[in-house]
Amino acid sequence: MAEVTLALALGLLFALGTFLVLRRDVVRVVWGVAIISQAANLYLVTMGFGLTGAPGTDVPFLTGGTEAPYADPLVQALVLTAIVIGFGTTAFALVLTYRVYEENGTIDLSDLASNPFEGPEAAAAEVRAGDTDGTESTVPPTSDETGGEQ
Amino acid sequence: MATPQVVIAPLLVALGTAVLALLTRWDTRVQRATSILGAVAYLGGVAALFRAVRLDPDNRLVYQVSGWDAPFGITLVADPLSTLLLALAAVVSLVAAVYSTRAVDLEGQRLSYHALYHLMVVGVTGALLTGDVFNLFVWFEVMLMSSYVLVAFDSGPASTRAALQYAVLNLLGSAVMLLAIGGLYATTGTLNMADMARRLAEPAAYGIDPAPVLGISAVLLVVFLLKAGVVPFQFWVPDAYRAAPAPVTAMLAGVVKKVGVYAVLRLYFTVFAAAPVAVSLPGIEGGPELGVLAFFGPVLFLLATASTLLGGLGAIDQPDLEGLLAYSSIAQIGFILLPVAVAATATDPAVRTVGVAAALVYSVNHGLAKSLLYMAGGAVEDAVGSTRLSDLGGLTETTPVLSGVVLVGALSLVGIPPLTGFFAKLLVFDTAVRAGAPLALGVALAGAVLTIAYATRVWNRAFWGDPGPRVQAAAAAALTRAGSTMEEAGDAVTDGGADPGAAPEDASAGHGDAHDQHHGDLSAAASIADPLLVGCTLALAVLLVALGVGFDPLYTAATDAASAALDTGAYVDAVDPTTAGEALADGGGGGSGGAHDIETLRSLRGDGR
Repeated sequence: MAEVTLALALGLLFALGTFLVLRRDVVRVVWGVAIISQAANLYLVTMGFGLTGAPGTDVPFLTGGTEAPYADPLVQALVLTAIVIGFGTTAFALVLTYRVYEENGTIDLSDLASNPFEGPEAAAAEVRAGDTDGTESTVPPTSDETGGEQ
Repeated sequence: MATPQVVIAPLLVALGTAVLALLTRWDTRVQRATSILGAVAYLGGVAALFRAVRLDPDNRLVYQVSGWDAPFGITLVADPLSTLLLALAAVVSLVAAVYSTRAVDLEGQRLSYHALYHLMVVGVTGALLTGDVFNLFVWFEVMLMSSYVLVAFDSGPASTRAALQYAVLNLLGSAVMLLAIGGLYATTGTLNMADMARRLAEPAAYGIDPAPVLGISAVLLVVFLLKAGVVPFQFWVPDAYRAAPAPVTAMLAGVVKKVGVYAVLRLYFTVFAAAPVAVSLPGIEGGPELGVLAFFGPVLFLLATASTLLGGLGAIDQPDLEGLLAYSSIAQIGFILLPVAVAATATDPAVRTVGVAAALVYSVNHGLAKSLLYMAGGAVEDAVGSTRLSDLGGLTETTPVLSGVVLVGALSLVGIPPLTGFFAKLLVFDTAVRAGAPLALGVALAGAVLTIAYATRVWNRAFWGDPGPRVQAAAAAALTRAGSTMEEAGDAVTDGGADPGAAPEDASAGHGDAHDQHHGDLSAAASIADPLLVGCTLALAVLLVALGVGFDPLYTAATDAASAALDTGAYVDAVDPTTAGEALADGGGGGSGGAHDIETLRSLRGDGR
């Protein structure tokens, strides 16, 4: 039973993560990445169970055997490390998303992709053309449309 | 006799430098000196480790962290394979560190640049030294975490976009890597590479089924190829390389890519190849003597071919220098993987050694030449303000030394004797001929022709021909600077061609007649490029020539490294998980232990070193 539950949970998480990663909104993409890495963590923990059905190799809270079986501690140490790393990277990805929004005025991936790199000269020309330069903290003009939809 | 502690010397030096670079923020000059001295010390540490490994009778030094024996503790292993790539990393990181002090803006340097830069070096070092699959993941994360920030360092619209793409892709890659590691642990019951190779070699003795290793290692390959930027995982490369500051790109293309190649060599040739798995897939057949490599040979060959051709074709059509170099990196990584692919399916051990050695020599050549070219591109951008080929031209007149350096780098990529690139290409061809693989030979030839095509294009468009308006403007500005300096010194020489103040605006406005007016004076401005930036690239050029002229040491090192990568038995013996491995053998392969394992652990710790 434990196998089926865990396999279903893993499949669901990966499906959800993949779905979110394929969205156009960058925030959803970051959420998708976070969910996929959590799914990977869950998979790691699952790998420590053994899942053989034999006492002593299954997870304690699922079997509750009399001889106090325990799960493999190594995978839990791995997952702790992975969670810490994942926390840092997710935080960075979210900050970077905000920065992308500040710099490009959009977090829609199609809009971002339609501004391909044109070199520092073109970027400088753009700055000169749109002369309402202002300070960096001003909200970009397209914010209402991109933030609101989806 | 060297102590095993020397193994962690480069790691500690780089980490210490990163910390010191943060602590010395109160004075940027001290901070920059710390960064450069740290890079010098890192080079020293790597040199000491290189020498210690050469002198060691087994050619391997093993450091068990905290004295916990393998496979329970964290193992660091230095062998000829890792020290060769460490040496490459040390050279490139020192040159790029010096280059950074001029190329990166001062406020950025003060805030975090040097610390991040050295943390990236820490990640590279750890990934090259670790003997543990999960630690490989951790070191990759250390390396990537710094590189995310460094790619976004210029923080313009293009940089943040590229960094986001780079970060999301690599975060997904990390999740996939974690999955593969979990699978490996469930299959083999260990994370230590040597112990894993041991168990895979005799699966029956340890009660494990090695068959899943094929699929899991295929998943893992995706991660390494993503790091190396191989087709079809190459799409992040041009954006990220354009966005990052030039010294960071030099590190990414020259060193970080090679860590992906190293991981493929280490894990697939040293560890997974030990598994006696017979591969039987549509179109791919292989007996247990080749193991999983029977599958990865054709796969790598296909991807290397695609990289070489698509990268080469893409490079020909790029509008700017950095984009061209980025596509060239994709093509060159194909050249590195091509002999690896041939070696994977070769049955003759001599051919295998030559193949892996060819890949390593090519890695060193590409690491030096490509970081040279990226830094030269950065110097051009610094002087002219653009790397678009249409803005450039006539750089041989305005930056003679830099042009000579770029010529050396480009010719080394093309493979002209006596540069290192000649021998690298020669070894790739040699591998294909020895293995009797005409297809690989054809791909290598086509790739070589494409390399010549795009190298020629850079040279013709950017360095030869008439100077573009921007180059003239830069030259005029340089003349003005030179003139005003002389005036300040009290020297009454007035420079005829450059009217101080008026000349830059005049030329940058693109007046048609500006060309004739300034053309004669271009050579008067000795060089428009920054001398420090040119000096850094010059150092790499000298090294490329020196390694080519005196090729023997590099060849010996590469052959030793190839033998080390292929000799699973010696690797396992050096790390020596004998006692622990046997003690756990009866614990089953499911990765789950019993109470007696704890006793084993305790006893091991008791008589540990």
